Amino acid sequence: MNMAATAFGLRTRLGTAIAVAALLLPLAARADFHIRSPDEIDQGEIEIEHNGSATIDRNPAKAGETSYTTEFGYGVNSWWHPEFELDFGRDAGPGATTQFQGVTWENTFMLTEPGEYWADLGLYWEYSYSLLRGTPDDTLFGPLIQKDIGHTTHTLNLFLSKEIGPNQDVRGVDFSYAWQSRWNVYQLASPAVEIYGDAGRAAPFAKFQNQQALAGPVLVGSVLLGKLGKLKYEAGYLFGATRATASGTVRWRLEWEMHF
Amino acid sequence: MRNLMLAAACLLLAGPAGPVLAEDQPHLTIKNHRFQPERLEVPAGVKFKLMVKNEDDTAEEFESFELNREKIVPPGQEIPVFLGPLDKGEYKFFGDFHQDTAQGVLIAK
Repeated sequence: MNMAATAFGLRTRLGTAIAVAALLLPLAARADFHIRSPDEIDQGEIEIEHNGSATIDRNPAKAGETSYTTEFGYGVNSWWHPEFELDFGRDAGPGATTQFQGVTWENTFMLTEPGEYWADLGLYWEYSYSLLRGTPDDTLFGPLIQKDIGHTTHTLNLFLSKEIGPNQDVRGVDFSYAWQSRWNVYQLASPAVEIYGDAGRAAPFAKFQNQQALAGPVLVGSVLLGKLGKLKYEAGYLFGATRATASGTVRWRLEWEMHF
Repeated sequence: MRNLMLAAACLLLAGPAGPVLAEDQPHLTIKNHRFQPERLEVPAGVKFKLMVKNEDDTAEEFESFELNREKIVPPGQEIPVFLGPLDKGEYKFFGDFHQDTAQGVLIAK
């Protein structure tokens, strides 16, 4: 592949992603404890994934919020990976019940080959359709940036989101971010640190103490299953950094991938 | 929104300049679910493009935890894997779909 072909491929991918984003504006918000890498796209690979989180806090009003998702994804080609997600969850506070909250269509676009430029770049877009009465749909979009430095990998997600429909709680665009720094020690288990934040409605932002912000350690690893594919996991504990955030959140992720 | 898109593109295209890509492109071939050669010397201290060609009629995944790479190589196709700059040393890689036979080592010198 020569440089001209590489540049053409990049422009084509960037153009496609921008066109998709432009068609799907405006955007919407949604909390999700999962760092998205621009490099995790494998052509012809099927993924089944479960993400979960649960909040812990002495204040009952902030405790017991849970989120469970089950996702089915497929690597359509070398740069597009769509996933279909079922969303279950429970609001914080006593008396709340776990509900089937909605379905989400997720799309990850890889714009650069891993290691080709100073940093790897991807784009992410999702649309969540709410199944709960009085709850809006939402859509979320933003860049995925990743950089390897020695035996460490650093990933940044920046998202804008917007609620859609007549039941919007937040008018305007919401800004959220996520960061992971991972030390690649062993394939079975590598330590990482993660930061998640939701600044709320963009411009002007709320005071930091009124924003959602969490940080904490995570263990990341994968198990090779030979012809049965690969099992990946993540598990961590995130400490609340503001008074608006629960004092602790347990998060986990399990993913099975298989090539067909 | 367009400003965000523009900023993201600029971060990539106008960001800090990385190491210059080495002119030599090392080549690996996958045949009969084995890498050829199984030990390949690559330049240390520079960024390079490893070309991986799959001559089998089934897909393979070039994978290396040490190099932090996972790339599908469709049957009959050749793909680039951008690597480096690597410290001097040995870096194991394998074919994820035929781990019993597809094993290899990059030797950075």
